[in-house]
Amino acid sequence: MLVKFYLNDVEVSFDVAPNEYLAKTLRSHGIKSVKVGCNESSCGSCTLLIDGKPMMSCSILSASIEGKHITTIEGIQEEAAKIAHYFGEEGADQCGFCNVGLALTVYALKRELKNPSEEEINNYIVGNLCRCSGLQSQLKAIKAYLKEE
Amino acid sequence: MKVNEYYRPSSLEDAYHKLQEDPKNSLLAGGLWIKKMGLSVNCLIDLSTLGLNKISETKDEIIVGSMVTQRDFENSPIIKSLFNDSLAFAVREVMGVNFRNIATIGGSIMGRYTFSDVICGLLPYDVSLEFYPSQKMSLEDYLNYKGRLNAILVNIHIKKGNGKGYFKKVKTTALDFPILNVAISKVNGKYAVAVGSRPMVASLAHKAMDYLNKESKPDFNKAAELVLEELSCLDNMNASKEYRQDLTKVYVRRGLEEVSK
Repeated sequence: MLVKFYLNDVEVSFDVAPNEYLAKTLRSHGIKSVKVGCNESSCGSCTLLIDGKPMMSCSILSASIEGKHITTIEGIQEEAAKIAHYFGEEGADQCGFCNVGLALTVYALKRELKNPSEEEINNYIVGNLCRCSGLQSQLKAIKAYLKEE
Repeated sequence: MKVNEYYRPSSLEDAYHKLQEDPKNSLLAGGLWIKKMGLSVNCLIDLSTLGLNKISETKDEIIVGSMVTQRDFENSPIIKSLFNDSLAFAVREVMGVNFRNIATIGGSIMGRYTFSDVICGLLPYDVSLEFYPSQKMSLEDYLNYKGRLNAILVNIHIKKGNGKGYFKKVKTTALDFPILNVAISKVNGKYAVAVGSRPMVASLAHKAMDYLNKESKPDFNKAAELVLEELSCLDNMNASKEYRQDLTKVYVRRGLEEVSK
């Protein structure tokens, strides 16, 4: 079936199977920044933004996104570079597999919550697992990024 | 998961007729659990375009559309204003934000999941479910209903009242299933106690509730014992029966103390 949606503000139209998930659709069309970790709605590596909200693309059927706006890391390059800078400063970047999903979640966090507490930040990013670190460096990097005007 | 057809209905009536066409047709809410179950479905009927994603209120009740996401539910000022925010709290610890932006309140209820925070969190309140075609039943009646209800959940009605609520989810890690859920309310002077993930679907503890609502100065430890007399706990890989019983005693007492302040 044909599904039309906006990928980083560009209208696209893909032929998808009724049981096909968005992560697979995007990766098969060259968007390899979308990482699939657990493929079980748990690790958050596949997170992207749908109409501005972070969601796990391994668990969204492609057929269900008709007319919606999908944002991958390519759609927020300038902000992604800022987030990457803070991750680097805090040594929060190890294997890097989870970084893309986490960066998109952090980008959404900044737009959704004003002056969040540490508890609110932790609650927001808890669905993005990092198997290399204990998320402490990421937390420091996120706080620094959130302080930036 | 095997799916032959993906269907976007134009109305509730259309969705209902499609559902009746084949017992292997299934409604799609958030779709998270359908994926995990690996079902073989003839036709998936997408409910996301039928306008069921709104929260509204009247003088007496709050009406939550079945397709409201868990995240929109927890962030709703209308929901937060009720029972010292305990309803929103019941949803806030379900996985992460990127999960709760997909999962719906209706999907969580209709699945009657044994581990559901949403069901346990709503159960001690006056909650009724509105289905298409015309049918209404209490949340408790739906949980006790045997078999598959061949209808579409449209709205969840939560009756307003004066009072407080308490919700406790016990889990080993942030993203784990609960070992136990305890939800307690005291609304308009009446106590209600629900315990879930024992590991069975949440139930109301009627014996304890009768005792609490009869006594002028109820003993909360006795009430916790009555909860355990009525609601059994079992072993599973997350926790033993005895551990769950001990947790139940402690959190029921603490919850009753909390809502009585």
